[in-house]
Amino acid sequence: TPTPSAASGTPTPPSRRLLGSAFLQEFRNWETPWAMEAMHMVALEIRLLAEKADRELVMSGKNPDKLQAAGSFLMKVFGALAVKGPKRVGALYVTCQLFKIYFRLGTVNLCRSVIRSIETARNFDFEDFPVKDKVTYMYYTGRLEVFNENFLVADQKLTYALMHCNPQSESNLRKILKFLIPVKLSIGVLPRRTLLEKYNLLEYADIVTSLRRGDLRLLKQALDRHEDQLLKCGVYLVLEKLELQVYRRLVKKIHIIQREKEPSKAHQIKLEVLVKTLQWLGITMDVDEVECIMACLIYKNLIKGYFAHKSKVLVLSKQDPFPKLNGKPV
Amino acid sequence: PPRSRHGAKLLNRAWTAATGRAIGAGATRAATPAAEDGGAGVKTAAAPPHNLLPPPPLPPRSSPATPRRSWAPVPTCARLRRERRGSGSGIWLCLSVCAATPCARPVPSPSRRTISSTGIQASDIRPLPVLRETMDYLWHLLNSSEYPFEIVHDFIFDRTRSVRQDLSIQNLVNDQAIGIYEDVIKFHILSHQRLARSCQDSDASSLCYLNTEQMMKCLLSLFDMYHTIHKINSQSNKEAEYYSFFVLLHMGCKIPKMANSLSFWYSQLPASIVRSKEMIFARTILRCYHLGNFKRFFCMIADEATELQLCLVEPFLNEVRARALMYLNHSGYKLQHHPLTHLSDILMIEELELEDLCRICGLEISRSGDTKAFAPKQTTFSLPTPLSKSSGIYISREIKR
Repeated sequence: TPTPSAASGTPTPPSRRLLGSAFLQEFRNWETPWAMEAMHMVALEIRLLAEKADRELVMSGKNPDKLQAAGSFLMKVFGALAVKGPKRVGALYVTCQLFKIYFRLGTVNLCRSVIRSIETARNFDFEDFPVKDKVTYMYYTGRLEVFNENFLVADQKLTYALMHCNPQSESNLRKILKFLIPVKLSIGVLPRRTLLEKYNLLEYADIVTSLRRGDLRLLKQALDRHEDQLLKCGVYLVLEKLELQVYRRLVKKIHIIQREKEPSKAHQIKLEVLVKTLQWLGITMDVDEVECIMACLIYKNLIKGYFAHKSKVLVLSKQDPFPKLNGKPV
Repeated sequence: PPRSRHGAKLLNRAWTAATGRAIGAGATRAATPAAEDGGAGVKTAAAPPHNLLPPPPLPPRSSPATPRRSWAPVPTCARLRRERRGSGSGIWLCLSVCAATPCARPVPSPSRRTISSTGIQASDIRPLPVLRETMDYLWHLLNSSEYPFEIVHDFIFDRTRSVRQDLSIQNLVNDQAIGIYEDVIKFHILSHQRLARSCQDSDASSLCYLNTEQMMKCLLSLFDMYHTIHKINSQSNKEAEYYSFFVLLHMGCKIPKMANSLSFWYSQLPASIVRSKEMIFARTILRCYHLGNFKRFFCMIADEATELQLCLVEPFLNEVRARALMYLNHSGYKLQHHPLTHLSDILMIEELELEDLCRICGLEISRSGDTKAFAPKQTTFSLPTPLSKSSGIYISREIKR
């Protein structure tokens, strides 16, 4: 393995890539995939060395371009594997290496072309690929769906990754859950505290509690506290949209309390009561704002009923006023 | 539209006469031009009108350090100005020629070159001070009210693309270059507002789309420049505001350049930008929009938006209002009508405009004495596209102050 020059600290010339190119040239000529494991090793090492080289380039104030070059090389490797025949079974591994490079570089739009090749080309049958590669693939494509807020597809992919991941690999399970939990929250599925504690995902603990309680203040505090971390992961906007569900839960709690005090009028909630409740939670909102939000909750079928503008009353349906999400995002 | 074509033709003919360089009529502007806008396509010469002076002789080729000058001496310009004042084409001819005078304003045609064209001389490329002068001149032109805005927009649109092209060819990334880019974006934002106000037909809506597309490209290039200067510990003091424009544009229609999701985009930004006042404003506005909190949406815009942010969101406001009507119509009690006076306060729109908007959305307005209202649960409601662009928020911030 080439090592950086001890004197200058700069990376050596790309001898590894030249080696890789030479190997790829030969690999193309072999009809059977007997050297697939070696090809995968070359791909992995080129990526890891390129990451290390880029770190050193950044430290010495130079432009880090090794990982980008590694990506170009791996696309050629992918091209050599994405063919009819037994070699194609190795393509998903290289795809996952490419995903890692693109996510690291922030060029996730480049994932599109490889995903298209895997998912639509007739050369590939997804079930033929090794399980570990399928799990990694589903994890990264699931993350892309989270970015695009396609929650149902994200749920499918990340759940697949979770179910097929090695149960001994806690760090991988944690990585999957980090993105799966916000997706599940947006479709109304709440994780237990024990799960969050087991996988050290306590940044979601207060958010889950706020959903259970209808505590808007807690939600805002949790989002503020973990804002940087959640923004970096790309899940902040997903969690921000949970605000509507928290409002729904708050209205439901008021309805439950009213039902205990005066069952005949439980389905009528004065907007003033909501204003006072929010004030108690430290949130200043006037009746007009509350009316807007109630209109939105009703429109999005989080609440069944209507609001009477003149009387300033929210009238809930007597039957199932708070329909469940049933696995569908708001 | 005929007026626009007429104006463009006059401009092109004037330019040909003034500079001696041929430009074509009907230059096409592709919806997705190449990176950093290589030129405006193949141009053919237009014959100069017989009553214009012959083009001046070109001066000797200058060194790269000095800008190339191919203009008439000042006395000729002044004479032209006198001769042409009062004729319909005069102002454009005057401006074109004046633009070529040494006193100020080299504003060459964008057809000069493309990034891929061969034979570009160093003297063809305008250095930074000249580009700055050009931008200053174009700003001055922007406030000209003699011609319809579409014609002015067209002219400046092409010239600013040319300026950006010159910056790109020279790979200039410094405070001045960033300032120029910020000014170009400012132009696009003001155009975004004015085109939406003044234009209602399909030609104009394509102008709006192209303008938004260019604005987006310019923003993305500017963000790359910000990223570059951060490496040398430099920063523009307007960064946060310009980043906020990208967020606010997500209220409008999606254009291809916005392919990456907002979530991903945030994940790449430094925390100092995401937590800046301007970005928090933009993020909160977008959140209120998604939450349906239209009261807070409009109040925040009226109270906190900068002038440019206000210009940027203005064309989207009627769509937001229509969405508010949709929610209220769906969720309200049909026997308790919603007075338009109250609604006009919340949505910050004149009552008469609101009435028009209700009609466009298929809502019937009822009258009870002096009070106009709409009854919820009308099945005739539909969200129309495209909507007429609003004239903004009617509560003047000057009055509020």
